[in-house]
Amino acid sequence: MRHNRNTTQLLLRLLFKAAWVRKDRAFTALVSVAVVATIATAALTIYSNLEGNLSREFRGFGANVVVTKASGALSPDEIMDIRKIVGSTGEIAPVGYAIATETNSNAKIIVGGADIDTLRRLNSSWSFSNAGQGSALVGGRVDETITHGADLHLSFGTISAVIKPAGFFHSGSDDDSRVYIPLDDFMRLTGIQPNTALVRVEGKPQQIQNTIASLRVALPNAEVKPVRQITQAQTAVVGKTRSVVLASSAVVVVLIMLCMVATFTGSVLERRKDFAVMKALGASNRTVNFLFASEAALLALAGSAAGYILGCGIAFWIGKANFDAAILPQPLLLVPVLLGSVALALIASTAPLRLLQQIQPAGILRGE
Amino acid sequence: MFLRLLFESFRRQKRRKSVALLAIALGMSIATAMIAVGNDIGDKINQELRSLGANLVVTPIEDTLDVNIGGVNLKPASEGAFINEQDLIKIKGIFWGHNIKGYAPFLNAPQKIQTHSGNIDAELIGTYFAQSLQYGKEQFTTGVRSVNPWWKVEGAWPQDYGDFPEQLPPDVLAGSKLAQQAGLNIGDQIEIGGRKLRISGILNSGGDEDQAIIAPLHIAQIILHQPNAVRRVTVSALTKPEDAFARKDPSKLSPPDLERWSCSPYANSIAYQIREVLPNARVEQIRPVEQNQGKVLSRVTGLMLLLSVAALLAAALAVSAAMAATILERRQEVGLMKSLGAGNTAVASLFLTEAGFLALAGGLIGFLAGAVLAHRIGQSIFGSAIVVHPVVLAVVLFAAVLVTFVGSAGAVRKAMQFDPAVVLRGDG
Repeated sequence: MRHNRNTTQLLLRLLFKAAWVRKDRAFTALVSVAVVATIATAALTIYSNLEGNLSREFRGFGANVVVTKASGALSPDEIMDIRKIVGSTGEIAPVGYAIATETNSNAKIIVGGADIDTLRRLNSSWSFSNAGQGSALVGGRVDETITHGADLHLSFGTISAVIKPAGFFHSGSDDDSRVYIPLDDFMRLTGIQPNTALVRVEGKPQQIQNTIASLRVALPNAEVKPVRQITQAQTAVVGKTRSVVLASSAVVVVLIMLCMVATFTGSVLERRKDFAVMKALGASNRTVNFLFASEAALLALAGSAAGYILGCGIAFWIGKANFDAAILPQPLLLVPVLLGSVALALIASTAPLRLLQQIQPAGILRGE
Repeated sequence: MFLRLLFESFRRQKRRKSVALLAIALGMSIATAMIAVGNDIGDKINQELRSLGANLVVTPIEDTLDVNIGGVNLKPASEGAFINEQDLIKIKGIFWGHNIKGYAPFLNAPQKIQTHSGNIDAELIGTYFAQSLQYGKEQFTTGVRSVNPWWKVEGAWPQDYGDFPEQLPPDVLAGSKLAQQAGLNIGDQIEIGGRKLRISGILNSGGDEDQAIIAPLHIAQIILHQPNAVRRVTVSALTKPEDAFARKDPSKLSPPDLERWSCSPYANSIAYQIREVLPNARVEQIRPVEQNQGKVLSRVTGLMLLLSVAALLAAALAVSAAMAATILERRQEVGLMKSLGAGNTAVASLFLTEAGFLALAGGLIGFLAGAVLAHRIGQSIFGSAIVVHPVVLAVVLFAAVLVTFVGSAGAVRKAMQFDPAVVLRGDG
């Protein structure tokens, strides 16, 4: 019992002294492990958050799914179904279209009925200029060619109406030739119910595909069409960026690990004299191995714990700086990072000992 | 003497030197690979974002409103104004002509289409598929195949005929919905305006074109009796993301500011330059595309930049630590040299010269390895090589020398602070 305690004390003293007496050596080893742990933690944390963060950037492209009824209107139940499937994060704008005639110029204009606020939220990339107290959104070309800022006088068959603009917009699409009025006014004037729903589905590419599939199942009588250029671009950009981040992180982590192993191995080889003295004093191979290994393991543990914290910090900062969103630490990474670092350090410090064991201690002490 | 010391140091301490060399080479290949990937990622992702299609649209100023509802065009073919097809080539001649990746003209009108099973009303759209054009000495190909990359064709894309071929009826595409409605198949013949056409492929665009017949522009012009007429042109241009300066009104800028504004490839300044060469045209941003692709691009490049900086710092630290570790182990040598009368300068210069050689050799090996890695990443992910600019070699060599010096200098100074006698006794 006493013998055991003495051995433990001796071991602890040896470990502590080895680190303390050569603080700089311990420090360089600590730094090299911490660097590996930091970069591995930061890269993996960013990678696991990347798909969601990058997908969010595609929000500004507007509707990515269009639901249309070829005949008849979308019933309130169907609109409810869409809302349920898309969830609270997405946007849904039921729209109805009709042709009206501008009575002053006799020009035909497409009038859309929709919730104006939702339409503006959905198309955040359009440029809007406010015009006044009215309720309609007037396309830039309608304003340029017909109204020049004035009210619109429209006739829908037998019903006439004066539409006051709330704002003008430019989109760069056919919408610039259209006028959007609140859905209630539209239904009152035309008697037409919305037959189209512009939908913005939020999420990762796979989640969007799943939502589209569920919409198709829930609305068998409607056509559910992804706006292909947007969904395709999102899939390509998110996928390729993920691959690049993964590949370059893998390269960096593997190379920096090798770098750390080289440093560790080098510094163990430099301690051949310690090794020889221990052997000369009667230590067995196992004891020496154990001593070197536990020193490396302790250093690796301390270094990787520091690296994990630093890596989480870096990932968080990159999230804030680049995506305006926090990239939170992944507690699941802690154990692999710690174990991985310790395992690497053990390999790096015990492998060179094998080499040394083949040489007689006397030879090393003589300086061979 | 100095040279001999240097030479012998490398000859006798092969193991120690190769560990240091390995560490430097590894660190520098990280630097090379990350710089190359980070530098090229913008271009690569920009290519991917091309699949969003054009970002500018050109229409005649005098044109009447579009009356398009649910993919059905209600505007008569003769109404409105047109752009002259011959003038379009001028788009390539603007200051930012090289940033114009392609354009596609469109001429469309509702037509009666005679099929084997009867008549059907549908839109006839004329466009370039992959038209080869010549601007000055430059030969380029443009059309919907490159500008609208999400258009999928089952069967074959038609040729861009300049005229009605004598023998065969010219090839056209049928939109997938129209084909389904009218029972059209690949190889079927249809007739529009008394002209026979052959369906070479079925188009699936996910948009309104799925309900139309898409013909080569010149064929559509002949059928619609509107030679050289184009209703709309979409332009795909590489642009710089918009900032506050980009949104300024060019007519209110001072001449130097206007020059600076025109010399930035903003969508607005490219649109302005297109308006200068096509005076009767209105050029607008396709806002969902233009306003957002820059945002996405800057997120991706920003991320890679930050990751590269983190990786470079890590590589620098790792190399410094490796160098410090190798030099710290050599304090006995320092002690010996000093006790033989070497001054601090002599010792430091020996160690730093050694470090310099190691840095240059390691930097070179690292650069080569890093270039191979970057090339591999480019090939496997984007299917196109990531080219490492030769200037990166200079940067990497400089960084290698700097980092090894920083790592060594501290350690050399530390080693020199010890009393030679104490170090030689082995107490240090």
